[in-house]
Amino acid sequence: MQLLRTYILPRIVQWAVVIFVGVTIIFLIPRFSPINPVDDMIGRMTAFQTMDPQAVVLMRATMQDLYGLDGSLLEQYINFWQRLLQGDLGPSFQNFPTPVNEIIAAGLPWTVGLLTTSTIMSWLLGIFVGSLVGYFQHRRWAQVLERVVIVIYPTPYVIIALILMVLFTFYWPIFPMVGGAQGKPALNWEYISSILRFGFLPALSIVIGGFAFRFIIAKALATTEIASDYVQYAELAAVPKRRIVYSYIIRNTMLPHVNDLALSLGAMFEGALITEVVFGYPGLGSKLFTAISNADYNIVMGIVLLSIVGIATGSLIVDLLYPVFDPRVRLR
Amino acid sequence: MGTIIEAVNLRAYYITNAYGVERTVQAVDDISLKIEEGEVYGIAGESGCGKSTLMRVLLNAYQPPLTVVGGDVVYTLDGERVSAAEMSDEKNRDLRWRKLSYIPQGSMHVLNPVRRIRDSFHDFISAHRDVSKAESYQLTAEYLRDLGLPEKVMRSYPHQLSGGMRQRVTIALATILWPKLIFADEPTTALDVVVQRGVIQMLKDVQQKEGSTLVLITHDIGVHANLADRIGILYAGKLVEEAETQTILNQPRHPYTRYLIESLPNLESRAELMSIPGRPPALDRPPSGCRFHERCPLAKDICKTVEPQLIKIAPKHFTACHVVEEELSHAS
Repeated sequence: MQLLRTYILPRIVQWAVVIFVGVTIIFLIPRFSPINPVDDMIGRMTAFQTMDPQAVVLMRATMQDLYGLDGSLLEQYINFWQRLLQGDLGPSFQNFPTPVNEIIAAGLPWTVGLLTTSTIMSWLLGIFVGSLVGYFQHRRWAQVLERVVIVIYPTPYVIIALILMVLFTFYWPIFPMVGGAQGKPALNWEYISSILRFGFLPALSIVIGGFAFRFIIAKALATTEIASDYVQYAELAAVPKRRIVYSYIIRNTMLPHVNDLALSLGAMFEGALITEVVFGYPGLGSKLFTAISNADYNIVMGIVLLSIVGIATGSLIVDLLYPVFDPRVRLR
Repeated sequence: MGTIIEAVNLRAYYITNAYGVERTVQAVDDISLKIEEGEVYGIAGESGCGKSTLMRVLLNAYQPPLTVVGGDVVYTLDGERVSAAEMSDEKNRDLRWRKLSYIPQGSMHVLNPVRRIRDSFHDFISAHRDVSKAESYQLTAEYLRDLGLPEKVMRSYPHQLSGGMRQRVTIALATILWPKLIFADEPTTALDVVVQRGVIQMLKDVQQKEGSTLVLITHDIGVHANLADRIGILYAGKLVEEAETQTILNQPRHPYTRYLIESLPNLESRAELMSIPGRPPALDRPPSGCRFHERCPLAKDICKTVEPQLIKIAPKHFTACHVVEEELSHAS
């Protein structure tokens, strides 16, 4: 009960406040912009054809209502929240009148599937290999591995993605050029294997990039951990090296790693923008990219909203998990 | 009762080579000593005199830059003679904790902060014995009870224990496998006097229960007076005097030892305390002749050029001082 009141509750309140402020900001930003999306839309529609002025007025009113641009700023704001709480994000401007919900829902499973697997894989791999290399830093294999990663790490992600693409779709055409899947969604091997085949390269590129980043963090953390009194003492007592790596080094560096994982998973809803564009993958990232280039505010807002909630929830989970990973955080 | 550990002309230097600048620190220089089975041998001296270095070498647990450049340490453990210089890495790991153990300096951080005490015990026990977790727990519980430590310590994390309790737990952790030879490096430093008493008593108990040999290193002559059978006085990497505790306390012969004893506070007399003039020499360029001559009030010309040898001046009483040597030869 005490734990709930003094630890869990304040963090949930904090989570709600972060989301509230975030949502308010994404409501305000487009409204301070000099471009009026309704005028913009009507301008585009009337650019190549003449329309009845009466119809234009009518259309403007309808669209103002649809876009939630009626009335004063405060009225709009209240209206905005009302719609949001009902789960209504408005229509897409570009694909009018398809609701934003539908567009996001179409991209979401692709992105979530791709990023959860590749993030978790690169996380596990990075911590494990990085910690081992940190612990055995004087061994030959560790030094070779570290040099390799040091070369990969600063390489811009786009270049890694393009190299993979050129290698595996052009020189050795093992994988298809575009992401996604073939055929109709169904629970059969054909469809599932096509998801794996089409998703392999994008996933691999994310795993490589994420691995290098996490390897360097894990190695640095392990290096400081080795100098700690308890690792030195366990070594002196000839505790097996495997036990030292797991229960002493990795276990003690878990906090920053968990933090990184939760935030990376939370940031997933922004989509893997570059990956999806490079590999033509049909996830949220490519939707966001098209929406930005077409000034499709509602979609941008929808995706940003999702990622605000995602990151806030990610850090809430980290906060709640801290006591599990470090007994010193536990309330006494 | 025979000799359990013997150092023969031991020289251990810190050899560093940073950017072509070679530096040699002669932390242990030509030390020979014999420690008998079941004895408590105290090593005393001021900070930076090579106490901890000597202990690391005696324990055969040192890493570069510390290098043994000459001499050897010979253990006689259960009738088996082992030389540190010839010992394999495996043999060394095998002897740890079962035969040789170590109670570290400043035990505040030698326990893994994210592991319960009983699991740390399990790590250390299972490294040397084929035991299940349950067996380790039982062994630990029995041992802690024997030593009068509360049972709830088992389930605690290190941060939940007081400094004194942590030090006691560490002593238990170091001696859980009943080692023949225990090294304790400043086991009571950083504890207040009341807690110190308890820790000293516990060290006595542990040592007497199994008749183990204890090598006690501390600058605190009071602790030595309480525990040690014999004391070796270390100055600037050299053994300058060695005798039974009572002799060292009441009839010290070496000028340095005399200073050391006279600098102790005494409840009966309120006389002003003596302090030794000057500072201990830097060991990368030790003074010629007797290393103490620069601070010695009795220094003669010979002290500046000729290194004094450790000579027997009474049964079990050795000292390395030209002045004492001269007095003796005049007397005889």
